[in-house]
Amino acid sequence: MALISLKKIYKIYNVGGEEVRALDGIDLDIQENDYLAIMGPSGSGKSTLMNMIGCLDTPTSGLYEFEGEMVQVMDDSQLASIRNRKIGFVFQTFNLLPKATAQHNVEIPLVYANIRKSQRIEMASKALESVGLSDRAHHRPNELSGGQRQRVAIARALVNDPSIILADEPTGNLDSKSGHEIMNILDELHNRGNTIILVTHEDDIAQHAHRVIRLFDGKITEDEELKSS
Amino acid sequence: MILLFLENFKISLSAVFANKIRSILTALGIIIGILSVTLMGTLISGLDRSFESSMSWLGKDILYVSRYEWFSDMDWWEVRNRPKMLPEYVGKIKERSNYAMAVAPVMQRGASLSYEDKETRTEIFGTNEEYMATISTDIEHGRFFTRNEDRSGSRVVVIGNGISEAFFGDQDPIGQYIKIDKMKFRVIGVLEKQGKFLGLFSVDKQAILPFGAYKRIFSRRGWMRLSVKVPPDKLEEGLDEITSVMRHIRGLRPNEKNDFAINQTKAFEKQYTTLKIAIGGTGLFITLLSLVVGGIGIMNIMFVSVKERTREIGVRKAIGATSGMIMGQFLMEAVTICLFAGSIGIFLAYIISFFINMFFPSTLPFGLSIAAMLMSMIVGVVSGLIPSYRAAKLDPIDSLRYE
Repeated sequence: MALISLKKIYKIYNVGGEEVRALDGIDLDIQENDYLAIMGPSGSGKSTLMNMIGCLDTPTSGLYEFEGEMVQVMDDSQLASIRNRKIGFVFQTFNLLPKATAQHNVEIPLVYANIRKSQRIEMASKALESVGLSDRAHHRPNELSGGQRQRVAIARALVNDPSIILADEPTGNLDSKSGHEIMNILDELHNRGNTIILVTHEDDIAQHAHRVIRLFDGKITEDEELKSS
Repeated sequence: MILLFLENFKISLSAVFANKIRSILTALGIIIGILSVTLMGTLISGLDRSFESSMSWLGKDILYVSRYEWFSDMDWWEVRNRPKMLPEYVGKIKERSNYAMAVAPVMQRGASLSYEDKETRTEIFGTNEEYMATISTDIEHGRFFTRNEDRSGSRVVVIGNGISEAFFGDQDPIGQYIKIDKMKFRVIGVLEKQGKFLGLFSVDKQAILPFGAYKRIFSRRGWMRLSVKVPPDKLEEGLDEITSVMRHIRGLRPNEKNDFAINQTKAFEKQYTTLKIAIGGTGLFITLLSLVVGGIGIMNIMFVSVKERTREIGVRKAIGATSGMIMGQFLMEAVTICLFAGSIGIFLAYIISFFINMFFPSTLPFGLSIAAMLMSMIVGVVSGLIPSYRAAKLDPIDSLRYE
């Protein structure tokens, strides 16, 4: 059984009386420990697909099964719980809370998972260690470099031990050296058994993935296996 | 849930402290609101207590029989033509009434009291030996005059505590002679300290003479009332009985109206309650309005706070916060500001009421500070409700894109 299974997914917006098909009949299966890159020009529906997979958005029509369960019948708190326990988001703009330290930023998903403080500290420290930022735990985001911020964001995505990391242009705001570091971390996570889904428009970033799909006007135009997982 | 609650509390504290000036300005509205509400409540309760103690001086179980009603809308000419109260009523009432436990005639006038070179103007009362039963004050030292002293017209006097202090200081006043309008009287007793009646005149500054001496020296005519003590649990029956006794004394036919008045402290209470509702109600209403204004300020700043942190809300939702958790976070923030402001308001009210207390009896009742805390919490919840609902309903994708 596929970890994530999308069948005939449509997302249709109505913009000024005109119908915009952001997703136009997507069929996609993602297996556990896949390393998938979603590519396509801007406006092709990459981000919408990403949000859909991440349970932030619901399709206009179609069937989405996450670990065999139908997502569109879930309520707000069930979706929040999946986002909290199964999925970790990494954004292009990092999206850390500016007033909280790195440590606290990483702890937030654990707060929503209702985990005790002592355990929270331990888990967050471990996650920060795994991205090589133990020594920066008590710095605020504005005291960190871009690459370090993105590593904090990855630690936050990992901390509740989610199996799936969704990274939306994770290197988009970074210089190539930091971008490289981030991709190495993602590679390593994949090697450890995590499923990685990556949105990018840079070919060399997509080369890290084992499977690349290309989107155009809301449709999958290409689904290419680069290396076997 | 408790974890989340603590976390929300921490978030709101940091949000409040991150924008210190803004928080203080916003809180100011609530501080002023709570301050004015508690001060108003303090004043009303102070008024209540001073009224209570004044009323206890009058005595709830005393019927005051006189020519005039205390509070009446009757025509003046009708009241004016009523016959006077006469000293012989005392005996007649005692003879005919079962409920009257004590009957004292009371005449009153202003007089000048002096001792050596000290002089003061005050009210003097002429009454009989049963007077003490009709007031709630006791003799502090010395004694009250006797029936015989009253009958024989002895020139003895019982003075109020204030006069004793003013004339004699630490010296023992008993046995000393004071002059009342140039007539010498021997002091035989001093009343307990009482304080002011309704904050108007000092009860401690009175002098009580036997009726006999009073009538002979000061007045044959003049204004008289009777104080009749009835059993506290038989007020209604006592009132009915004394009314019919008085009607009998006056020889009224059944179809004639009473040509006398029987007053009770109830009349004061009724008057006071009306006044209290008028002043207190209006005052509380106005001060509550200021609290509402404060609440609007909170609501306004919460909308700003939600708007500013749209992106944060998106992030929190993306990493697993439910709508309920987001709502809780912002509600908590509003409540935190309000509780914070409420405590400051109550603290200030304590200090201010301490100073007011020097002029007028007022201490902030404990119950009122609890109520004020609750009130600020309610203001927080009510004014935070719409902004936090809006925060909770934000679409995570739109919020994540919000710049």
